[in-house]
Amino acid sequence: MLSLQHISKFYQVSGLKNFVLNDLSLEIDEGEFVSIMGPSGSGKSSLLNIIGMLDEPSEGYHYFAGQAVHQLKEKQRSALYKQYIGFVFQAYHLIDELTVYENIETPLIYQDFKGTERKAMVADMLDRFSIVGKKDLFPAQLSGGQQQLVGIARALIAKPKLLLADEPTGNLNSKQGEEIMELFRKLNKEDGVTIIQVTHSEKNAEYGSRIINLLDGKIESSKQL
Amino acid sequence: MLKNYFKIAWRNLKRNKAYAAISVAGLALGIACGILIFTLVTYHLSFDTFHKNSDRVYRLYTEWHDDGIGRSNGVPQPLGKTFRNDFTLAEKTGRVINFRNNLITITKGNEVKKFREENGVAFTEPDYFDILNFPLIKGDKKNILVRPGEALLTEKIAHKYFGGDDAIGKVIRLDNKVNFTVTGILKDLPPNTDRRQEIYVSYGNMDEYTDKRREDNWGGVYSGSEAFTLLKPTTTTVQANNAMAEIVKKHYTGRDLKVWKFKLQPLNDIHFNADLDGYADKKYLWALFFIGVFLIITACVNFVNLATAQALNRSKEVGIRKVLGSLPHQLFWQFIAETALITVVAVILAIGLSYLALPAINHLFQSEMQFNKGQLAVFIFMVSIVVVFLSGSYPGLVLARFQPILALKSKLSQKHIGGFSLRRILVVTQFSISQVLIIGTIIIVSQLHYSQTADLGFNKDAVVLLPIPQNDLAKLTTLRNRINQIQGVEKVSYCYRPPASQSNNSTGVNFNHRAEDEHWGINTKPGDENFLATFGMKLIAGRNFFPADTTREFLVNETFVKKLNLKPQDVIGKTLSINGKSTTAPIVGVVKDFYNYSFHTEISPICIMPDYRSYSTLAIKMNMRNAQSSLASFEKIWNESFPEELYSYEFLDDSIKKFYEMDNIQLKLAESFAAIAIVIGCLGLYGLVSFMAVRKTKEIGVRKVLGANIQHVLWLFGKEFTKLLLIAFLIAAPLAWWAMHNYLQDFKYRITIGPGIFLVSILSTFIIAAITVGYRSITASLANPVKSLRSE
Repeated sequence: MLSLQHISKFYQVSGLKNFVLNDLSLEIDEGEFVSIMGPSGSGKSSLLNIIGMLDEPSEGYHYFAGQAVHQLKEKQRSALYKQYIGFVFQAYHLIDELTVYENIETPLIYQDFKGTERKAMVADMLDRFSIVGKKDLFPAQLSGGQQQLVGIARALIAKPKLLLADEPTGNLNSKQGEEIMELFRKLNKEDGVTIIQVTHSEKNAEYGSRIINLLDGKIESSKQL
Repeated sequence: MLKNYFKIAWRNLKRNKAYAAISVAGLALGIACGILIFTLVTYHLSFDTFHKNSDRVYRLYTEWHDDGIGRSNGVPQPLGKTFRNDFTLAEKTGRVINFRNNLITITKGNEVKKFREENGVAFTEPDYFDILNFPLIKGDKKNILVRPGEALLTEKIAHKYFGGDDAIGKVIRLDNKVNFTVTGILKDLPPNTDRRQEIYVSYGNMDEYTDKRREDNWGGVYSGSEAFTLLKPTTTTVQANNAMAEIVKKHYTGRDLKVWKFKLQPLNDIHFNADLDGYADKKYLWALFFIGVFLIITACVNFVNLATAQALNRSKEVGIRKVLGSLPHQLFWQFIAETALITVVAVILAIGLSYLALPAINHLFQSEMQFNKGQLAVFIFMVSIVVVFLSGSYPGLVLARFQPILALKSKLSQKHIGGFSLRRILVVTQFSISQVLIIGTIIIVSQLHYSQTADLGFNKDAVVLLPIPQNDLAKLTTLRNRINQIQGVEKVSYCYRPPASQSNNSTGVNFNHRAEDEHWGINTKPGDENFLATFGMKLIAGRNFFPADTTREFLVNETFVKKLNLKPQDVIGKTLSINGKSTTAPIVGVVKDFYNYSFHTEISPICIMPDYRSYSTLAIKMNMRNAQSSLASFEKIWNESFPEELYSYEFLDDSIKKFYEMDNIQLKLAESFAAIAIVIGCLGLYGLVSFMAVRKTKEIGVRKVLGANIQHVLWLFGKEFTKLLLIAFLIAAPLAWWAMHNYLQDFKYRITIGPGIFLVSILSTFIIAAITVGYRSITASLANPVKSLRSE
């Protein structure tokens, strides 16, 4: 599904290159559930941002769904991204001024779905996550677990092939975290969504099919479960 | 502590240069306008306030209650004398008869110097100088202008005429008629007086200068004939007005008893009463005052907008300070110190700006305003204090109230830093005002364009006007013949004044030997048989009169016919009597209506007739291709015809432009205030957008991650400001329509306010606003979402 070859990301500080990712190569197939682990500053989030096309590598080749991302123009990259990728954050990042329903609907608006289609799709999603009763509430009125649920529903609404999650359970208690992880596993197994998650927790990492350990911008180890 | 406050303030401003620059610029602009408007208003309020006992000084004026009410600042010449001699209500009463555009000749040996004095000469009774405070610096104070043949000059005029020589005892000749000996020198006039005469001569020479009839003529009013009185402290205005009524009873009979009224106008009303030749209506000063207040307030509002938008960025600093033990009031004073620093810089800039702008404003108003440093210092100090507390206290309070833990974690949101809707209301207000001003400017421009290009009913192009100082029939004939021979001259006509002029004569009308005179006057336009052809005017009935030197036949205009409720054909052949029946002749033709004043005034009934004694202008319709050589020839021939006089010429279209001098001033003012209001409004909008951008950083980041492109994000801002501008327009349009509808009432002939004007206004505002909003929202939409979402 995606392939990173000799990817580096560095910041130039007074002539010295400060590497965040250092000549990193990685292949991920469709249907995989990858957990990325590593200590703070090892480059986990940067790697995820590059995979998610939110950031560009300083060097290296990036292929996604058969296309050379490093050669694409902004517009094409954006189209590719919209079609294939959903994002889940540690801090949920719901829009405070929009209701649950509207938050979930927003990606569809950016992909030019018609009003009636949007209604049907959002209703489906609300149903699936059992949050129909909360659709008119604002994020501030929900608990953390519920907010993350909405965040995931929003990430999935446009039926992405790849779900990227940056410490999705970091702000949740263990019970809520488990529920989210179960949901991820289900998505991976039943819907075939490829998932890449960044996590600090061994336990959560083991929900995946592969664990990659990063250290100082390089892959230290990779373990198939 | 204080030093620390200012040090921190200075560093903060240095770090946020753009923010500081915008705050300072907005405030400086607002305060500079405040300073200039303050100077302008105090200048006008100070007019003629330097006279002693100015609360007891009055000017007499005339009112006619006939077909409507007419007013004149002039009075019949005997009125002042009668009031002085027959009543004991006043301490002093003095008459002053002003003439304008006089020729002064000075002979020194063989050298003859000629001067055209626009402000003219005043024939003045000695009492005048006891009533008004124009001090002598040389001469005998007790016997000012008591004997005939004496003259007073101001220092400036004396220097102009005689250079370094002592002017006392020198002789000046007025209009080649009367000689006067200079017996006193007056201190130069202060700029803030409406009494602009700089040459005063003995009242005793009036008879010699004009004809003697004037001294006892109660039937006519010359607007230059004024009378001032200093009432006794015990006299009330009611008593004085009663005395005036008695004078009317004694000197008028029949219908005139009801028509004529004399009244007293307080000295401090003279500058502001437009009905009586005053310069400025007080309502305009009030309008200016409110514009000034508005500009300063909006500048403060912008400051508040920007400062609170900035506050979110400083929440961390505030949080740390609080954790370190700072009390809320200490934080409050820190922000006040910061505001004070910005205000001081802005005030310095504003003073500089107003010094730069003052000459331009003086030029515009043709005034000699100066900064009154004492008053201004107090004003600036007060304004600074108000500005500091108005704009500093709100952001200060908001920041001081931050919860330290939330502030440290950057978890503050808009609800901690003040209402968003308040800002919206403020921006809507600012833009309503600027749109009102834009619409006003467009309408004034259109009206002026209309007045300068509309068909006046006569041709104003390529007509040169030369003055005729002497009405000697033989001389006039020779002059005309010689001018006619010059190449490029198409038509030549003698006349009193061109068809539209600021100088007009009106007289009573008797039509067709009716028993009673008409209740309206007629504007007499003496001119020879070429008058119509030279000015391209059209006859709609009858014929032109035959060549003649005195009045044998009349032409009248359409309005005259309409006033009589007749048809043009009906008046042909009927007799018309004017000037108290001293001139009677048949009407032979009716001319199509033409504008005889500016578009401010209704077309009046007019008669045109030959009368060589009244001619004072030679109008020449010429071919402009050889203008230069033709003009040179005119000057040569004219100087040969009138060797004692001073040559001058004027093009008719230039003289018509002068009708709209005041309108042009209003236009320039409207333009500059519109521009300033737009600039300040845009700063406000910029403040709002910055605030939105800060507030929406996270939202924009999230939206971009969800697939929004730049257009989507830009629309977030566009939607907001489109809404605000539309609301502002909905408020501004009816207001502007109402204001400008009233403004146009001053024009009898005017444009209609069409939808196009409103369209242009809202379009231009949109473009300006889009540019303002554009930069900030584009930077916001281009921001990398990775950065804006990382913070948590």
